[in-house]
Amino acid sequence: MSAQLMDTGLEPISEIALAGAPAQLPRRRRGRTAAIVVGVAAYLVTFLIVLPILWIVLLSFQPSGNILSNPFSFDHLTFDNYVRAITSLPLLQMYGNTILIAVVSVTVGTAISFMAAFALTRMIFRRRRTQSALRFYLLAGLAVPVYILLFPVYRLDLALGIFGTYAALILPYVAVSIPFNTLLLTGFLREFPGEIEEAAIIDGAGLWRLCTSVVLPLMRPVIATILIFNVVYVFNEFPFASILINDPSMVTVSLAVSRFQGQYTVDYGGMMASATLVLLPQLVIYAIFQRHVIAGMTVGAVKG
Amino acid sequence: MIWVSSRWKILLMVAPALIVFTGFVIYPVVYSLGFSFTKFQGFGAPEWIGFDNYAALAVDPFFWQALQNTIVILVVSLAILIPASFGLALLLRRRIAGGGTLRALVFGPAIIAPILVGLIWVFILDPKIGLLNRVLGFFGAAPVQWIGGDTLTPYAVSLVFIWSSIGFAMTIFYAGLQLLPSDVMEASAIDGATGWQQLRHITVPMMRETFAIVTILMITNVFKIFELVFMLTGGGPVHRSETLVSYMYFVTFTNQQYGYGMALAVIITVLGAVVSAGYLVVSRGRKQPA
Repeated sequence: MSAQLMDTGLEPISEIALAGAPAQLPRRRRGRTAAIVVGVAAYLVTFLIVLPILWIVLLSFQPSGNILSNPFSFDHLTFDNYVRAITSLPLLQMYGNTILIAVVSVTVGTAISFMAAFALTRMIFRRRRTQSALRFYLLAGLAVPVYILLFPVYRLDLALGIFGTYAALILPYVAVSIPFNTLLLTGFLREFPGEIEEAAIIDGAGLWRLCTSVVLPLMRPVIATILIFNVVYVFNEFPFASILINDPSMVTVSLAVSRFQGQYTVDYGGMMASATLVLLPQLVIYAIFQRHVIAGMTVGAVKG
Repeated sequence: MIWVSSRWKILLMVAPALIVFTGFVIYPVVYSLGFSFTKFQGFGAPEWIGFDNYAALAVDPFFWQALQNTIVILVVSLAILIPASFGLALLLRRRIAGGGTLRALVFGPAIIAPILVGLIWVFILDPKIGLLNRVLGFFGAAPVQWIGGDTLTPYAVSLVFIWSSIGFAMTIFYAGLQLLPSDVMEASAIDGATGWQQLRHITVPMMRETFAIVTILMITNVFKIFELVFMLTGGGPVHRSETLVSYMYFVTFTNQQYGYGMALAVIITVLGAVVSAGYLVVSRGRKQPA
């Protein structure tokens, strides 16, 4: 918004500054040419960035023979690759598993992070020190890189007897999401206006009512950011999944992708159709939530 | 007003997060640290060997190769990514028809799973079936071994990393640019500053914090690169294209040298922290004289 204000604000001022100067007219024309150059450059760069995706989609319609010999021909485009991909891929299974894991881990992760963040900012501890120490403890997780956790979590899952179950992935996903969720939630809750809370308490709201029907609805934007962030993480996560899932029926989307190369050693068409089948739903969902995703990413990054 | 409550209610609110976080983040970190001083092959009891794993790492040529590759990726990526994404943010900030769509498209690669990013780029960089060599061949150039060869893989990984991160970095810069106060710009325009002077003396200095955020994020992301290498070359040939994390994954889970792998994980963590902290110190230091 401020960019537009600035653009429109600049023009008249520089015109006043240059009033009567003979250079005014050429300067104007140069401005218009510059605008066209900028526009063309912007479209060109964007095209270059999108090109790898377009290339995969294009190749996925080529007969396998063409991919090696003549990928730029458009004469024999076909859906055969998709037929093979759909029949050989556990599409329903991998999306089912991923969605199940994402829904459970993100819901639980957000809920327990919210509870902790609420207690650590809005409730009175007998010792204030304990409160800030606990807050620091959870936030310290931001500095922990995920790969140092891989092997210990694998051993822990074995020891708890949950290895190879959904819980094996859900618990680490929840744990890993807590520091970031806590960061955003405590940041927001600290500045939360107390009056509304106060009124609710005087009206006799209990802790549960206060959280669910007063505070939570007011925090919708932060919650949305957290949900989007966590869902994207779970959908894209590979290292944990590759170690903690050994049952083929529990394969997640990213695990399935990692197996394309082995599955279609020579069938490049099948591989690309499969890649497209995974890519397109992600891109469609992104297109729908695009505004929120970008807003969420910037909030998270700037605050982090 | 702050909620006055009984002890058990507070405990009830904090306990779930605390238990899961301690169990699956803090305990594993301590466990890794402990294991890095042991020898363990997956059966029997771990044997305490002190700093032997770290000493072995110091003379492991594959570790040094992986470190070197990671440094190459770090330097090449940052040198290109930071200016390119900042330039892109400046470009997409201008009033362009369909600018919002362009910004969304540029961000697109950032949400694609890294594992899928790796697969997509196989079809561009592969020496035999890749798009890049075909285009080069069209112009009569000899095919280049972008991935899987002796030398070029880290550069190719940098390219892919840049592709997948540029939209993310651009978006943060874009948000930072939106926060700049417009009156400073107007004042400098009245004083007759050219666009370049404004950029160099006003915009860039005022964006210091944003540059720091983007750089730190990208440094930590480079230290996490794993899936790209996993899909592009699998670390080969003979570990020549391995990054630190992909080599750690190989040592730990393929070779089952758990103690050795954990020592490597500890080293990676320390290195990541040191590089990030080092960057912060240097960038803060530069801030003082200005």
